[in-house]
Amino acid sequence: MPADDRTDVLVIGAGAAGAAVAWRLASAGIGVVCLEQGDWVDARAYPHWGVDWELHRQTDWCAQPNVRRLSQDYPVNDAASPIAPLMYNAVGGSTIHWSAHFPRFRPSDFRVRSLDGVADDWPIDYATLEPYFDLNDRMMGVAGVIGDPAYPPKSPRQTPPIPLDTLGATMVRGFERLGWHWWPSDSAILTRDYDGRRACNNCGPCDLGCPTGAKASTDVTYWPKALAAGARLLTRCRVREITLGPGALADGAIYYDREGRECRQKARAVVLAANGIGTPRLLLTSRSPRFPDGLANENGLVGRHLMFHPYALVRGLFDRPLGGHRGPIGCAIISQEFYETELSRGFVRGYSFQVSRGLSPIASAHGGLVGDRVPWGREHRRAYADRFDRTITVAIIGEDLPEAGNRVELDPALTDDSGIPAPRVTYTLSENSRRMLDHGIARAREALEAAGASGVAVNPLLRAGGWHLMGTARMGRDPASSVIDAEGRCHDVPNLYVVDGSTMVTCAGVNPTSTIQAVALYIADGIIRRRA
Amino acid sequence: MTRLAGHRDLLAQVLDTLVPPSGGFPGAAAVALDHVLTVAGGSAALEALLARGLQAIEDDARAAGGFGRVDTDGRERILQTVERSHPEFFEALVRHVYDGYYAHPTIVERLGLDPTPLHPRGHRLDVTEPPDLTRVAARGPLYRRA
Repeated sequence: MPADDRTDVLVIGAGAAGAAVAWRLASAGIGVVCLEQGDWVDARAYPHWGVDWELHRQTDWCAQPNVRRLSQDYPVNDAASPIAPLMYNAVGGSTIHWSAHFPRFRPSDFRVRSLDGVADDWPIDYATLEPYFDLNDRMMGVAGVIGDPAYPPKSPRQTPPIPLDTLGATMVRGFERLGWHWWPSDSAILTRDYDGRRACNNCGPCDLGCPTGAKASTDVTYWPKALAAGARLLTRCRVREITLGPGALADGAIYYDREGRECRQKARAVVLAANGIGTPRLLLTSRSPRFPDGLANENGLVGRHLMFHPYALVRGLFDRPLGGHRGPIGCAIISQEFYETELSRGFVRGYSFQVSRGLSPIASAHGGLVGDRVPWGREHRRAYADRFDRTITVAIIGEDLPEAGNRVELDPALTDDSGIPAPRVTYTLSENSRRMLDHGIARAREALEAAGASGVAVNPLLRAGGWHLMGTARMGRDPASSVIDAEGRCHDVPNLYVVDGSTMVTCAGVNPTSTIQAVALYIADGIIRRRA
Repeated sequence: MTRLAGHRDLLAQVLDTLVPPSGGFPGAAAVALDHVLTVAGGSAALEALLARGLQAIEDDARAAGGFGRVDTDGRERILQTVERSHPEFFEALVRHVYDGYYAHPTIVERLGLDPTPLHPRGHRLDVTEPPDLTRVAARGPLYRRA
């Protein structure tokens, strides 16, 4: 077994959080080695360079690893979940194919128990994270406009907001007629050249990667700076287990390199950044006499409290072309009119609306994420023409509350190509989430009709919507009810850190990446302080 | 592609029933047949599934002298029957037909879009001026202090 020299910190996973931590630590002079099971993605290999780009969305660029089935992926048994987990394994992780929505959590999102009597408070708050939000914004580059009354004042955005274009301007009319909140989305997509990266050319399908580099995947934001600061990044290295040394401290990891050789990386501290499914999976595969049920799992909470953001979709039909194929696919407008708790609505907590762009030709035929395929036969062309470029989809992204029964375990039979047990996901949509989505569907219909829609189609729960994987190694002060402490250290293994979506105590009603990265930077600064 | 080779003519007729020529747009047989055959050629399971489904269509049409001898109403009726009796086949067939049809540059251009690769050309937006946020901004803080 080839053994590398001991490093200060081993980071496992090179995605949104791992890249941020690696850069922060390396910039402070700390030795960093990062193991990533995927590889660098060559921007010249993105589908956008070919005329058949849209076909790749259902094959090698599908967001579902069970469909994509690339050699660097691992399967996920999601048969017991109505929501399929999505992820990407590469330098940059799932930021390679995210849509780059970049809202932050709001102050109340960290005080759910105190304010609303449900779930748990975070041991840290918005004010603690605010400087890290700002730092992360500068590193990623955010398009937006300040002054949104849904948030405390923010620092200036790095570039102007993504233009609304015809589709967005149409939807704004609906929100304005109703007097509801709306705002141009904070998006980690540059609308002007910034920090050596080029502005977006509005080509559209950000979910297939960004050949321009305008979208902030961490392979083009954090990683070049982390490597320049001295971090080492080893790709196609799949970690099998975290190893324990004297004193029940983590002392590194065993992994398989790109030739399939078993290797060992020694480290003084280990940082897990493998996403809300990969991280508990790895903790659970790391069994020892000291931790027979998985590393840092003395209380049995590793893998529990899995949260997705349940998505519902309402698509409005309009009587004129909207140019929906132009511009970043996911980002145009956010509305947080129904974000904070109002118990008269029949549920606790709340949700955001996201107004995304329109559907491309193939997606239009299949009904997009709503899934109502255009009928075949003699009526096909007319039905297709009525729909193509004449729809606006409003997504309802609801806050999912942590439930112990929603969890990630190891599958007893399924493995990846290296023989490492695959994760098995068990998830049930709560009644609170169901009522929240139903409320959102009714309000989205109202907004679309106010904008001029002549009819709507609804998907009450998006199956292929598990973009956000959270809560499975939750942060907390009490070792009996959490896996990591307020500084990201495992209660049971104090030199083992978790920095990805697993840390999240609650998941808010917005996309989590901005907050995941802010938390990761905050935890990195704790590592730096302790080392000093 | 060997299992589908004997069904090629039937497959073309089925494709043109699913997406017939209309309004200047070609039928699916003209632009999507190669895609369906290529995808099937890359998956033995899909090829077998399509072959079984096409055989079912052929069986249903036999009494009428074959699918090709049936009028449009009759073809649609046969496909509706097979859609119910072989849903997995039909789902896969329609999916790949739509994929091949709407990925084809001829169709993309007919839809009014530029059929060349998206990158590096990108798109020009129509509405680029900053939105008027006055009303929303004037609402004051909408978040709870915590």
